[in-house]
Amino acid sequence: MKTSIAKRVLAVAAAGLISVSAVAQDKASSLDQLLKMVQSSKIAESAEHKKREADFRRQKANQASLLKQAENTRASEEARSAALEKKYEEQELLVQQKRQQLDERLGSLKELFGHLTSTAGDLRANLQTSLVSAQYPGRAEFLDQLIDKMNSATKLPTIAEIERLWYELQRETVESGKVVKFNGTVILPDGEQTEQEVVRVGNFNLVSNGKYLEMNDSQKMAELIRQPDGKYQGMASDLQAATSGFTPFGIDPTGPTGGSYLKAMIASPSLVERWHQGGIVGYIITGVGVVALLLAIWRLIVLSGVNAKVNSQLRSSTPNTNNPLGRVLSVAEENKGVDGETLELKMEEAVLKERPAIESGLNLLKIIAMVAPLLGLLGTVTGMIITFQAITIFGAGDPKAMAGGISSALVTTVLGLCVAIPTVLLHTIVNGRAKRILHILDEQSAGIVAENAERK
Amino acid sequence: MHALNDAWAAVNAFMASGGPVLLLIAGLTFFMWTLIFERFFYFKGSLKRDVQGAVDTWEARPERKSWGAHQIRYALVSRVSEKIQSNMDMIQTCVALAPLFGLLGTVWGMINVFEVLAITGGGDAKQMASGVSMATIPTMAGMVTALSGVFANTYITRTAERETQLLEDHLTMDH
Repeated sequence: MKTSIAKRVLAVAAAGLISVSAVAQDKASSLDQLLKMVQSSKIAESAEHKKREADFRRQKANQASLLKQAENTRASEEARSAALEKKYEEQELLVQQKRQQLDERLGSLKELFGHLTSTAGDLRANLQTSLVSAQYPGRAEFLDQLIDKMNSATKLPTIAEIERLWYELQRETVESGKVVKFNGTVILPDGEQTEQEVVRVGNFNLVSNGKYLEMNDSQKMAELIRQPDGKYQGMASDLQAATSGFTPFGIDPTGPTGGSYLKAMIASPSLVERWHQGGIVGYIITGVGVVALLLAIWRLIVLSGVNAKVNSQLRSSTPNTNNPLGRVLSVAEENKGVDGETLELKMEEAVLKERPAIESGLNLLKIIAMVAPLLGLLGTVTGMIITFQAITIFGAGDPKAMAGGISSALVTTVLGLCVAIPTVLLHTIVNGRAKRILHILDEQSAGIVAENAERK
Repeated sequence: MHALNDAWAAVNAFMASGGPVLLLIAGLTFFMWTLIFERFFYFKGSLKRDVQGAVDTWEARPERKSWGAHQIRYALVSRVSEKIQSNMDMIQTCVALAPLFGLLGTVWGMINVFEVLAITGGGDAKQMASGVSMATIPTMAGMVTALSGVFANTYITRTAERETQLLEDHLTMDH
């Protein structure tokens, strides 16, 4: 386009140049010649003007005929519009009449369709959460179509569709009372989809391969990522294996309304998560408990060894220095000639030397048994402080925010008790061993020396 | 048979409502009372034989006055009292542990209650009730165990003391 404009400009400019050069060539040599030239050009111009005028007149007549034509067209269209408007009014009246006729003829049927619409709506809402839909997919689409049909003013449901609604209602009722097996596509936790046998317990639960399933938002069966306790999973696989009779099974009573109970049960923290709820105090208690356990086991092993050696020493008559009793008896052996009182003192001294090695760690064990519940109490109190801080910030309106803090506070108490109880028991057992050895050293060593002396 | 089944069902229901800690308390109670009965039977049965053995050994001695004889008498008494005293510490520990187990159950139940609270927001009193029973029943059971143990333990301790005293009296010294 641009190039064509430029070409035209160039052409015009060239024409101008030619005419200027022509004028320059026809330069009048005298004034008379100039006058003549002016006259002749004037005559030429007027002839051109006349021709143009004639042209214009011709065209004017043409335009008038065109205008006339257009006016004619307008008139005819206006007439057509009026006719159509009239027809529309007539037909509108007819439509109103027909509608009235329809209403009259529908009569009580209209109420019936209202009930049908509301029933279909209720059923659609039920089917969205119903586990039966996992077995019979595509029921919701039919209901959607039916409801659309009934809501529109021009269509009426057919007998077949109404009967299908009846059938679906009854099927939902009947199926929710059955325990059935069927094959379906299940989405595993890793996203993989497999075709496997699924057991549906009424409208309550879906299980497959001992795992509980849920209906996700897109109406597909998905394995729950976190499963309920192993006890219930065992029941699920038992149920799948069963062919007749009664099988115990853990049912989610809120199944027909979406299975909120099962979800809540799964959301409850596992033991490890509970342990983490205890926080720093919980970890300290656990550490103290581990120390106590290791200490108790170590002392138990050591004292059992000493006990066995003391027992063998009790049976033999020659003192063996690998055990406390033997070392005490060897003191007597070394001081044979001494009188009784002095020997007793010397032996008491030897027993005193043995005592710390036997009793070591016992006091620490006792202290841990006492401190662990106190640490638990400390954790509880700090947890309560955190809870009350939460109340100060968020107010007491949200029991969930408070309950979380309180349960974590209680976890430390449980931990404290869980450490204290075994520690007390272990302390009693270890202390029993130590006491027996000390008992023999304190009260029987002198007697054994006397018995040995008499036997010789 | 039917009555037995009913009783068993009642026990099962009680154990279920008390939660897992109740099982521990039941085990503790069983263990404690086994030890207590063992002591009862020992005092009624083999104690007499042990005492008689010590007395016989003592009476068979040619002399009962020297330093050596005193020490041997001391050792004889110590050996028998060791037998008399055996398991007594464990019984006492069990008595002390029973309320601790009860407390454990209480806290465990309270955690359940608060968990229900966290899930339902306090709207469901029925579900909370199961946690409350899990909290209260073990406490009661722990108390009952501790109380029964205290009485038995007192009786056993006094019997043990008396028997040791009697034994010392039996081993007479010739002045």
